[in-house]
Amino acid sequence: MRPVPEQPWGRILAGAALLFVLLLGGWEMYWRAYGVTPSIANDNGLWAIQRRRIDAGEGDATVIVASSRPFFDIQLPVWERLDGRRPIQLAFEGTSPLAFAEDLADDPHFTGRLIIGIDPQVFFQGFDSHDDAIAYTRKQSPSQRVGQWLSMYLIEPYLAFDDADFALETVLERQAWPPRPGKPWLTKVRKLSQSEADRNTHLWSKVADDPQYRALARSIWHQRFAPAMDPPPEKLRKTIQEQIDRLAKAVAKLRARGVKVLLLRSPSDGEYLAYEARVFPRASTWDVLVKASGAPGLHFQDYPELQGYYLPEWSHMTRADAERYTVALYGIIQRDFWGPHALRAQSGGQSTGASNAGNTSR
Amino acid sequence: MVFNSLTFIVFFACVLLMHSLPLGWTTRKVNLLLASYLFYSAWNPPFVILLWISTVVDWYAAQGLVKSQRAAARHAWMLLSVVANLGMLGFFKYGQFLLDNFTALMSLLGVAYHPAHYDIVLPVGISFYTFATMSYTLDVYLRRALPARNLLDYALFVTFFPHLVAGPIMRPTELVPQFETPRRATGEQLRFGLALMTIGLFNKVVLADSFLSHIAESVYDSDKVPGALDAWAATLAFSGQIFCDFAGYSTTAIGAALCLGFAMPDNFRFPYAAVGFTDFWRRWHITLSSWLRDYLYIPLGGNRHGARRTYAALMITMLLGGLWHGANWTFVAWGGLHGLYLSVERFLRARFANYRPGPFVFVALGLLTYTLVNLTWVFFRAKTFGKAWAVLRGMFGTSVAAKPILDTFSLLTVLVIVGGMLVTHWLMRGRTLESVIARTPAAVVCGVWALMLFAIVIVQGAGSAFIYFQF
Repeated sequence: MRPVPEQPWGRILAGAALLFVLLLGGWEMYWRAYGVTPSIANDNGLWAIQRRRIDAGEGDATVIVASSRPFFDIQLPVWERLDGRRPIQLAFEGTSPLAFAEDLADDPHFTGRLIIGIDPQVFFQGFDSHDDAIAYTRKQSPSQRVGQWLSMYLIEPYLAFDDADFALETVLERQAWPPRPGKPWLTKVRKLSQSEADRNTHLWSKVADDPQYRALARSIWHQRFAPAMDPPPEKLRKTIQEQIDRLAKAVAKLRARGVKVLLLRSPSDGEYLAYEARVFPRASTWDVLVKASGAPGLHFQDYPELQGYYLPEWSHMTRADAERYTVALYGIIQRDFWGPHALRAQSGGQSTGASNAGNTSR
Repeated sequence: MVFNSLTFIVFFACVLLMHSLPLGWTTRKVNLLLASYLFYSAWNPPFVILLWISTVVDWYAAQGLVKSQRAAARHAWMLLSVVANLGMLGFFKYGQFLLDNFTALMSLLGVAYHPAHYDIVLPVGISFYTFATMSYTLDVYLRRALPARNLLDYALFVTFFPHLVAGPIMRPTELVPQFETPRRATGEQLRFGLALMTIGLFNKVVLADSFLSHIAESVYDSDKVPGALDAWAATLAFSGQIFCDFAGYSTTAIGAALCLGFAMPDNFRFPYAAVGFTDFWRRWHITLSSWLRDYLYIPLGGNRHGARRTYAALMITMLLGGLWHGANWTFVAWGGLHGLYLSVERFLRARFANYRPGPFVFVALGLLTYTLVNLTWVFFRAKTFGKAWAVLRGMFGTSVAAKPILDTFSLLTVLVIVGGMLVTHWLMRGRTLESVIARTPAAVVCGVWALMLFAIVIVQGAGSAFIYFQF
């Protein structure tokens, strides 16, 4: 038998347990004092639960694939109140919806309606931070499924510090270490959102309420706006074309199966909007995409009802505005695209101005 | 399921509860066996069938060996076991590798051969349990051990969840006798077992996953050319990561077994304080190196047939040992380098048999050993030879135009963790963890335990798999 060191193990265990609880309590109180409240971790496991709904009898649902803007801005309870059915939220922050749209295009179970959110920087640069959610869903082991359930119901709803932004390594990494010569320093994106069990997500209230945190969030975006950070033009042109071609192919496949597809450009504001207009001008990105895909496009700048919301860090709305925005967005979609009297139901291939959209539908 | 998961915490609590119930020993063993199958099937349920095949084939092969009188029949039963186990390993682990190499060979001969992609999922831990079951049949064949008295004990030896997927690679003589008599951990064993599990998980979750893995990834998984500092920092980070990952697994496994009243052998003894490569392999993955010694090196002749044969046996053993780690020529190169190191060391020891280094030279030789081990880790970590050469060029300072990849925090992390690990290994070189804990004040043990638990929770590990699961 292995030797057990001579020690008062009973007292050691009791003391260690007590000290551990005290340390953990202190850590939790520290983050709560910072303004954090418990939320559900938005990870691949949570995404997988929603993705599987499509293959488990909800293939006719409205599904959202996008990056962060439709993810934070479309409020599922509001949509459900208006529509009677809650959409399946498959958007992921910092991730082009392309791979998710292709995944749905290849899935014959999906026959519903699809909103594809196009956030210019993420989509046209082909950011793919969370594409691995698809492979994860396919390979998720029974053990991972059980772990996901345990975490979602026994831990995450009660512990505020259980958020990737407050993990020890992340907290240490973002301290003011001296920069290494020749290595440009980019502050990583901080916590922006709170998610619920069905991935209904909204902007974290601290971004709107805390001027310092808001300034930090803006400064993080601002790092990307300097012309020196622009992607090389030739590489960007190639990526834009690839993204458009691939999405057009996926959309064609979906529409051939009777899926109603809508491309959505969500609101942005301030310096973010100016940056997007400079690097991803609408005429050479959005308009080309809408035409190539043949699907109808809904651009927030074409609709007065989708403008004038408060976006504290220029990219995402406050929760209250997101709820108002969802009502307006749902109304427009029903009126112009998916409702029984929508004239431009799936004719698509164009994204017209507000007055034009209004004229054709009213 | 992995040890560093919520699922395992719940699973292990249930197993401890079941094992402590006042049930008969056979019932408790059946519980352990069923729990072990559940543990394995939590990855991919159908692969339990492979585990059963491996168990049943070797059980009947050993029974056949005992009953056979003729040498030819005994030989046939032994071959059945070897072919079945290596066949499974070959099909699942090396199928694509063999196909790729065959295709490349055909291409060299001018034949355009384009086979379909193999697309086979590697069953987790197959390299470990096939070696464990083969050792059973081989020990019975070599008359080094008697067969297990009943199928339950044998099946539990193969399947016992603490060692099932990543070792330590147990010998039947070590574990089967422990199943013959009723066992339940004492209170002290249970508490020390939990302390060992905490140490192991701290190594894995905090040091390997949270702090070191992404540093190695930043260099090894990027298309940037690393300079000297980045190449060394990433390789040192990987040396720390692989140790903390694998030694962390072994320590957790030993702790889990102890909580249930079973003993498992050490698999690591502070290997980065090794002086020379013979010493390194007595400290690194001890159960694999002793397996390779007993079932490969010695049958190949060992050191009984002259210098040439010894060197050949060493090289073959280490090359195959490299291939055991993964179906890629980079792993073969890793094993080959270790074989070369061992051969050179053997030659030098014979040449300078009377040399006894002083304390400074001793430490210098230790640091040289660690440096040379790091060169081998380059081939172990790099996915291609191209990447390995790029990192080696960086380490030797020939990529002068390279731009910095790692930031200050990453460099400091390597300095603190890997530096701390090296110092610890040297301080612990001639000691055991148990002896050091016994001499440490109880309040310090208590504080360190609490801090480790706290760190495990607040790093919020993502439950990533242990590196050796893929082998």
